[in-house]
Amino acid sequence: MITMRKKRFFTIGIFIVLMISSIVILDVSLISGSEEAKLNFEKESFSPSIPTESGVFRRSEFAMDYENMPENERLARKLKDYYGNRAYPGAPPVIPHPLLSEKGIGGQSCLQCHENGGYVDQFKAYTPVTPHPEMINCRQCHVSPKTDELFRLTNWTKTEHPDVEDNAALEGSPPVIPHTLQMRENCLACHAGPAAPKEIKVTHALRINCRQCHVPVQDLTTLKIEWDSTDQFFRKPK
Amino acid sequence: MNRREFIKRMAAASAITAAVAMFPGIVFAKEQMQNLPDGDILWKKSPCRFCGVGCGLKIGLQEGKAVAVKGDPESSVNKGLCCVKGYHSVMALYAKDRLTKPLVRKNGKLVETSMEEALDLVASKMQGTIDKHGKNAVSMYGSGQWTIPDGYVASKFMKGAIGTNNLEANARLCMASAVTGFLSSFGMDEPMGCYEDIDHADVFVLWGNNMAEMHPVLFSRMLDQRMQRKNVKIIDLATRTTRTSTASDRSILFKPQTDLAIANAICYEIINNGWMDTGFVKNHCTIKKGKTNIGYGLEDKFAFKDEAKGIDFEEFKEFLKDYKPEDIQELTGVSAKDIKYLAYLYGSPNQKVTSFWCMGMNQHTRGTWINNLVYNIHLLVGKISTPGNSPFSLTGQPSACGTVREVGTLTHKLPHGVVMNEKDRKMAAEIWKVPVENIQPKPSLHTVEMFRALDRGDVRFMWIQVTNPMVTMPKLKRYREAAQKDDRFIVVSDVYPTPTTDIADVVLPSAMWIEREGMYGNSERRTQHFDQLVDAPGESMSDTWQIIEVARRMGFEKLFPWTYDNHIEEIWKEYSLFHKGKKHGMVPLEVLKSEPGAQWPYVDGKSTKWRFHGKYDPACSKGDTYDFYGKPEGKAWIWARPYEPAPEEQDQEYPFLLNTGRVVEHWHTGSMTRRIPVLHQAVPNGYVELHPEDAKIMGVRNGEKVKLTSRRGEIELPASINERGKPVRGHVFVPFFDEGLLINELTLDAFCPISKQPDYKKCAIKVGKA
Repeated sequence: MITMRKKRFFTIGIFIVLMISSIVILDVSLISGSEEAKLNFEKESFSPSIPTESGVFRRSEFAMDYENMPENERLARKLKDYYGNRAYPGAPPVIPHPLLSEKGIGGQSCLQCHENGGYVDQFKAYTPVTPHPEMINCRQCHVSPKTDELFRLTNWTKTEHPDVEDNAALEGSPPVIPHTLQMRENCLACHAGPAAPKEIKVTHALRINCRQCHVPVQDLTTLKIEWDSTDQFFRKPK
Repeated sequence: MNRREFIKRMAAASAITAAVAMFPGIVFAKEQMQNLPDGDILWKKSPCRFCGVGCGLKIGLQEGKAVAVKGDPESSVNKGLCCVKGYHSVMALYAKDRLTKPLVRKNGKLVETSMEEALDLVASKMQGTIDKHGKNAVSMYGSGQWTIPDGYVASKFMKGAIGTNNLEANARLCMASAVTGFLSSFGMDEPMGCYEDIDHADVFVLWGNNMAEMHPVLFSRMLDQRMQRKNVKIIDLATRTTRTSTASDRSILFKPQTDLAIANAICYEIINNGWMDTGFVKNHCTIKKGKTNIGYGLEDKFAFKDEAKGIDFEEFKEFLKDYKPEDIQELTGVSAKDIKYLAYLYGSPNQKVTSFWCMGMNQHTRGTWINNLVYNIHLLVGKISTPGNSPFSLTGQPSACGTVREVGTLTHKLPHGVVMNEKDRKMAAEIWKVPVENIQPKPSLHTVEMFRALDRGDVRFMWIQVTNPMVTMPKLKRYREAAQKDDRFIVVSDVYPTPTTDIADVVLPSAMWIEREGMYGNSERRTQHFDQLVDAPGESMSDTWQIIEVARRMGFEKLFPWTYDNHIEEIWKEYSLFHKGKKHGMVPLEVLKSEPGAQWPYVDGKSTKWRFHGKYDPACSKGDTYDFYGKPEGKAWIWARPYEPAPEEQDQEYPFLLNTGRVVEHWHTGSMTRRIPVLHQAVPNGYVELHPEDAKIMGVRNGEKVKLTSRRGEIELPASINERGKPVRGHVFVPFFDEGLLINELTLDAFCPISKQPDYKKCAIKVGKA
């Protein structure tokens, strides 16, 4: 009898403890919830002028031309020059040729060649095509060197450009996009046509929907992918 | 990136590819919007180091170094775009001659020492000067590149602790006329509108502002609008043909200084054609007139105080009669037709008009007046304080607004209000916990006068931070020699050797920009916070902490009780007390940390985009209409301000007019941008722009040396003919970034008597082949 009673008190005791603890937990989470609410503020909303998807299909109307263009290995741009014009991968390239005029913002003059490209006899080269021809204040970002000299020496070292040889997950699978897309979301501008360096030139410009198969490299931490010992991955729910 | 990491990334990438294949249309929106890291680069937000536009940047970090920059797509200022300076800004941290150790002058030479010793010396020299010559013999000269905490501790130290108003900043040379313009017209500083006005305006009038080079990101936003909306027009009203002129729909050239007459003529036309918004003017404006013939401040200890007298509308109309467009054609060089066209653009009821200006109107011996006059135009037609209708004063430094204007690091200012006002002094004394008598009720020396006082010997000690006055002061020779006089002690805090560190007795190495935590405030009342993202080199120390260290050594520990870890947060909290309320409420720190900036007045968790209209501004108390609450009865002031000539005009002996300014590649004195290889190589040296006809007569060809001489000095520069800009005949233009070709040896130290801002845009010179 006594043991039964003890058992009952014990059970009741446990329930009381559980109830109290659940009340405490609820309270704490409620309070912290409302504290969080206090920190709420109105985020600014606007439509970005450079949405990352805006230019994906641009220039696709030229895909057929790209397919049929003659290759000229000798006149094609070298990847080394391509990166050499930039202070770091992704920096706006400098203008490597003399300018027709210092006047103006560039829209009228630069885009005459750089909107659609083509061969320029004067420079013995094909003109690279800009991925963002809608921006017409070209010389806001692209400047033309007048000298090789420096004002003062610098410790700046350029980070290495992404590897273009080995960035497919599997043998033969589509390579990923190893650079940010901001301002260069229009793939065909750089990856097709006679001005494209051989190493980054696409073999199948006609397929238009590039990002069906090629995706930007993502940061793993945001995807919560963890590896188990068998080297297989699964996605952990948040 | 090691191999294992690489495989992981590949896997992630293919996972997305698979997801896209299985669920067509799926978009990893957030990841793609932010363009997450390439490889192992970590992207962190910061406002740009350079101009007052205040673009949001994402700084790419790798192995403790800043390695790349992209525009922050989440920033409403630049929406992902930068200019060439912003894209290469991080390279300014890494030039080889970075100052990493303090230097002290011994036997005429700067020698390395320890930070402890240097700070001890600064404190003892400052104290010694106060003991010997009084507290008004010490001064501090800061900058619109000071972060907000830098300026705040400087103000507390000088005005609250030491008790002198000898605190100035280089924004006196660039924004003072904008401030006095705002205060005299509206009673409150800084623009009523914001950059979003660009998305609403139909007409942009640029008053003497080469925006394509000086504010390129905003200019691109205007071009973008013009492309999207066919009715958008950009009018360039300037004294020289620039990139902006060629990109605008119409370029109108006028003779320097006559913008005063043009603005009045526009008002005359507006009233005469019945384009005035009579109801608006009646309900929301009063008309005033001030003193005339107000001088140019050329002599030492020049003093001037304006006096506002009310006038009625008829008197105002009478005043404008001198400015009939037909009558001022010769004076201004602008045809009556063009002036009428401008008046029509402002007056036409269906068009929203935004005016932009910067140094053209501010560096002007009648700078306050021309600011008033452009407000007059907007007030007469009621195009103000609503989306797209905006008289907008741009700034040139990242925190000219945030630090100099809002914290108030000028001789007459306090973080809230002015030293002349007893209530404001009491408020400051209470927050700072100092006796109210500490705060001097009289403004002392404005910038030009402070350097003159250094020359005279009234000031013996000057601490200069984040600015380069030995390149930027007008009539440079006098002030350089002043600083080099015996018994003057100059401390300079900077990041690279400059002509200003050359004249210093102590050089303190500073931690710049993202090497420390801080905030900047841009032109549209937006405060932006940045964390420390990389280590500061050597012994360099933030300007904030340098001031705190010296203040503590002088016995003011109690006023600066913070630890290094919490000082920025504590300063922000203390500073925010000054601006409590709906008219100027500052943004809480946690919001600043999570957002690419927010705008004051920050009320109930929301930025205020347009001030002085009940629909947008919670501080208005008149309902759904205008309330210019900075002035009595909520009425803005329209000012009758006449045309008065510039102090030095062309004559027989000095037949040319000199204009100075910037180029897109270089920022201010080039001490940072010239150390960025891309920028230096694009514009390696200073030059003088000549009109081709003038060059031909002188027999000067492009690149040949030309000698410029003014009454104050001379300089030889290579000629630039028909290149980037083209001055009109009889004018020349020289950029001021080149410390090897100091154009300010020639400029005149005349200033606007109201704002005390010097005019760098006009002085008489002679020009000849060298």
